[in-house]
Parts: sequence; C-alpha cells; structure tokens
Amino acid sequence: MMWTYAQRQRLALEHQILLNEGFSQFIVYHQAAYDSYYASGLATSNSGREYSLWIPIPSGFPTERPPLYILNPHPLLMADGRTISSLGVSHSMHTLEPHASGYVQICHWRSARWHAGIVLQKVFLKAHIWIEAYEQHLATGRDLADFVRTMAEVV
Amino acid sequence: MTTNPVQSQMIKEAMQAIAERKPGRSKLVYDKTKRTIVAVAEGSNAPQALNITADDADMFSVVTLSAEWLRDRWPELKKAGLLPVTFSSWDGGDALTHSELCVHPSPTIVEGSILLGQQPADKRSDFAILLKPIDGHAFKPDVFASPDGGTYRAQVLLPAGQSTSPPEVEFVDVEPQLALRRAGILETTILKDKTVVCIGLGTGGAFIAVELAKCGIGNFVLVDRDRLSVGNVVRHPGGISQVGRSKVNVLRDLILDKNPKASIEIHAIEVGFDKRDVIAGLVQRADIVICGTDNRQSKLLINELCVEANVTAIYGGAFRRAYGGQVLRVRPKHSPCQQCFVSAMPEEAADVEVSSAFDAGEIAYSDRPVAVEPGLSLDVLPISNLQAKLALLELLADKSSTLNALRRDFDAPWYLWLNRPEPGTQYATLPPLSESSDEMTINRWYGIYFDRDEACPVCGDFIAGLAASYGFDPALLPALPDKE
Repeated sequence: MMWTYAQRQRLALEHQILLNEGFSQFIVYHQAAYDSYYASGLATSNSGREYSLWIPIPSGFPTERPPLYILNPHPLLMADGRTISSLGVSHSMHTLEPHASGYVQICHWRSARWHAGIVLQKVFLKAHIWIEAYEQHLATGRDLADFVRTMAEVV
Repeated sequence: MTTNPVQSQMIKEAMQAIAERKPGRSKLVYDKTKRTIVAVAEGSNAPQALNITADDADMFSVVTLSAEWLRDRWPELKKAGLLPVTFSSWDGGDALTHSELCVHPSPTIVEGSILLGQQPADKRSDFAILLKPIDGHAFKPDVFASPDGGTYRAQVLLPAGQSTSPPEVEFVDVEPQLALRRAGILETTILKDKTVVCIGLGTGGAFIAVELAKCGIGNFVLVDRDRLSVGNVVRHPGGISQVGRSKVNVLRDLILDKNPKASIEIHAIEVGFDKRDVIAGLVQRADIVICGTDNRQSKLLINELCVEANVTAIYGGAFRRAYGGQVLRVRPKHSPCQQCFVSAMPEEAADVEVSSAFDAGEIAYSDRPVAVEPGLSLDVLPISNLQAKLALLELLADKSSTLNALRRDFDAPWYLWLNRPEPGTQYATLPPLSESSDEMTINRWYGIYFDRDEACPVCGDFIAGLAASYGFDPALLPALPDKE
C-alpha cells in the first residue's frame, strides 16, 4: 500500500511522543523492505515480569484502529492453565481476536470507540494497565475485567 | 358503488355509450318524478332507479400504455401497421400496465398488439388496441399525439367471444407527469444531473435514497454488502417478496419504480479499510454522500474520504432502540466533521442503535453477546427525512428554489431528535409536549452548534497542534528507525 504524507508524518510524531512521554521503551519502526510500520517494545510489570508488545500499523491508521498483540510470553496462560487466546473475543479477559499465530490481542479500544485522535502512547498505557490486571488475575483467579473496570477513567 | 351486477352492467353500458357518443342498449336519463338518474335498458318495461355514485365512474378496467415508448416505436408501427405489446395484469385484469412501465412485473402477463388505422374485418383472437385517427388535438388520456403530428384515439378490441365492457386506455408520459408534481418547489432540471452516493442501505439509508429518487435526483451510487432479511422487512422499504436479494439490487428497483430515468450504479461491498480505494473513487464522483452506516469505523472512514475529496456528507443514525436520533452535516473545512464530533461529544457519538447481527457482532464478546435491538420504522423515518431534506438543500445550494427558504432554519451542523423520553437516558424526564414552549421535548428538531476542531486529525491540523503541545517542530521530526 502507499502511505500518505500525513500518515508518515503522524507516525513520526507518534514516535516522538513515546520518547518524550516516558515511553521510550516503545519505538515506531519503518520496515523499508515492505514499506510497513509497526510499534513495539518491552513492558515491564510492577512485579518485574517483561512482556513484548507489538502494534502492526494498519493501512487505515490513524482512522483505523491498530491492534496490540502480546508476542511474549507466548502462549499467555490464565490462572487455570488455559491459553487466553483460546477464549477469542472475551469480555472477562478484555481480549479481541487473537493473531493467526495465536498471540493475544488485548482490547485497548474497540472499533466502536476508536478514533484518530487517540495516540499510540495511550494504547501502550492501556496495555500496561491490562498487564497489571492480568497479573492480579493470575494471583487471585478473578476475571481480569474486575481489575480494569475503571480503565476508562484512568486514561 | 352499486353491488348489483345487473345494475352495474347497465351503468357500464350506458357510460360506454355516452363516452363513445353512440346509442347503446342502456342509457342514463334523469327522472324528474323520482328525482334521480335512472337507467333505461332496451327491452325493459320500466326504467330502473339506480344509486349512482362517483365510484361508479371507476368501474371500467384500465389499460395504461407508455406514450414515450409508442413515440419511439412509431415509425415501426406506421410501417407494419401492428406492434406487439405486453402488459402486466393486476387484480384479475382490472388493470393492465404496459410492461415498459413495470420494474416489478405481475406474474400474469397479457400479450396483445397495437393496430394502426381501421378495425380489422375479422375477429381477432388476442387483445388489441386500435389507434383511430381523429381530427384536431384532444388532450384526453386516451388520445395519442404521434411524432409526425397526427392525433389518434385508442380503443380496446377484446378477443372474440369476450363480452365484458372493453377497458379504457390511458397514455402516460412518465417524466413530465412526475416533474409536474415537483415543479415550482424543486429544481428538477438541476437535480437530474446530480450524483448522490448512498453508503449503507438499511432502513434509514434506503428511505433517503427512495425519497431523493422521488425528488428527481438523476444519478445514484448505492453501496451496501447486506442482503435483505425477514427481520429487516418490518422497517425497510423492501418487502417480503425481496428477502434474500442484495439491498443494492432491492434499492435499485425501488428507485427505478419512482424515477425510471435514474442512472444507478451498485456496489455490494463492505465499507471497510480494505475497500478504501474503491470507496474513495465513488466519493470523488459525488455531489453529496449520504452515510447510512451505523458503526463508527465506517463513518470515520467515509468522513476521512469525504473531507479529502471536499464532498459534503450527511450522517444520520438512531440512538439505541431508536428512542431518538441525530443528524450531522459535514461541509469539509467549513463545519465540524465526524471526527470533530466524536472528539467533542464521545457519548453522543457512541449512542447508536444495534440494528443488525453484523453490528451486534462487532461489539459483542464471546462471553457477552449483544442482541439486535428492537426499533420502529416510525422512529427512524423522522431522522432519515431530515437527512433527505438537508441533502436537497445542499444540492440546490446556489440555485433558486422554494426550499432555499429553509436554509436559515437548518444552518446548524448537528441535529437532535427524540421520539420518546426513554427511561435511563438524560431525556427520561422531558416535559410533556403540550406543556412546553421552550424546553426540550419529544418530536422537535434541535439544531446544535459546536465548533470545528482546528486540530482535528481529519479536517484540521492535528499534527501541528499536537507537535506544538509537545514542543516539537513537525518539520524537523527525525526519520523513523528502519528495521529489516
């Protein structure tokens, strides 16, 4: 696909915002060979566990919602030992359709709520909240949704 | 209207005789002693009093024939003396409509012919319409003015052995007769050259498309991936007989039934980012875009494409369970766009009706299904009606039109309509309509003004705004790191 000048400029700006807002562990990359873009980096939870996050930038960005996948740990397990991706689109775990390779897609904004005014920094921020809630789920066995109910107010 | 078959036949025969100005077996006369019209039948001893009403004038069946078609085929008819013709037969033969006029033909087709000149000596075995030359010009429904200046009265010749009264013939000129009802209010000569792209043909979008066709819009581009389902029929203009058909095809036929000269292009595709280039191409050809989709991503995609192409778009949608609805008119760079709207009023923008299984699936989770909501057609149509009216105002913007008087009334970018004080909403305690003069109530349009976002990601300069707030110079942003 051909990226517009506005899209390329927006992605450059997204990169700068991540760097300037204390999210420098996340970087927006350009894959010259395919002329594609993605944002990725490591998120570290309060317990010190690392999660590798990956946002492939869709061709309709920023109007089109970008998905956010957790590449590692993989597979990502629930407290009862099942894989989260086996749930598919789950309200209790705040996930959307998993990647074809089985990576969990977290629900940061649903398509019905996404718009072009939301920046990637906020998406990564929501991923951080999801990760903390996930670790609470592992510790207690309660639904992840119980811990992210106020996510909207937090962000 | 009389239900007595004997009386009915006498009235028919008498009326036929009057119409043909020749004596018949029955005639109608005024009986001074009985102070009523009576029918006098040949061979009858006494005149029979009849209760004749205006409805009796409609007791003849009618044959409707396209005058335009006949003018086009006139040289052929003059040469051969006969033209084959077919009709859709309705209501047991009460109405025969020329097939040329029928977008949806009747299951019963009657074949016949048009004859020019004198009645043939032999009795025909099929239904025929005889065109007999007459003197002068008679502006009557059964008189046809030929392209070469002749005038002909049409008379139905029934097949041999058929004894019922022959039906009346009516020539119709569709275009002028349709235009006559709009002339003076709408500039149909302008509208017939306009192109409307209708994206999303659910209840609202379909209603708007048909209304615009009635107004004489000449060119339509219809976009919808859905097929008509039984559940749609309770609200959609399409009916049970069209269940299973693509909505674009259903609408094409509905439009042609109202505006036979309309040019219609159909695209049975989903409005998604993977079809961005196709939809962008359609939008660029539009004079106006009507957005009838009800999910945010498609609205925002259409918004982006319309702003890019500088094409005005009208968005409309019902709130949940159609308790009300809203209309947004976007004039790119001059009024707030859909993106400005969702940024400024996220809750209002998110209040949408879940009117299809697809839309329900879009917001459902596997462990939290979402049902398709009930909603009445009656509650959706006021919203569509305003969308159609705003579209007309835009299309006639700089032209002289009676509708232009409405421009001062409809100058807001956003309109709100409430069908009922829905419990659980901020409108639950609205005062009754009869008790309010200036408070918000049901069944009124509210035009709401809000400003365009100068830093809107779609119609403004988002990057400059954001860069400034972070202290960057957007012209000096470093290149992104490359990855193999």
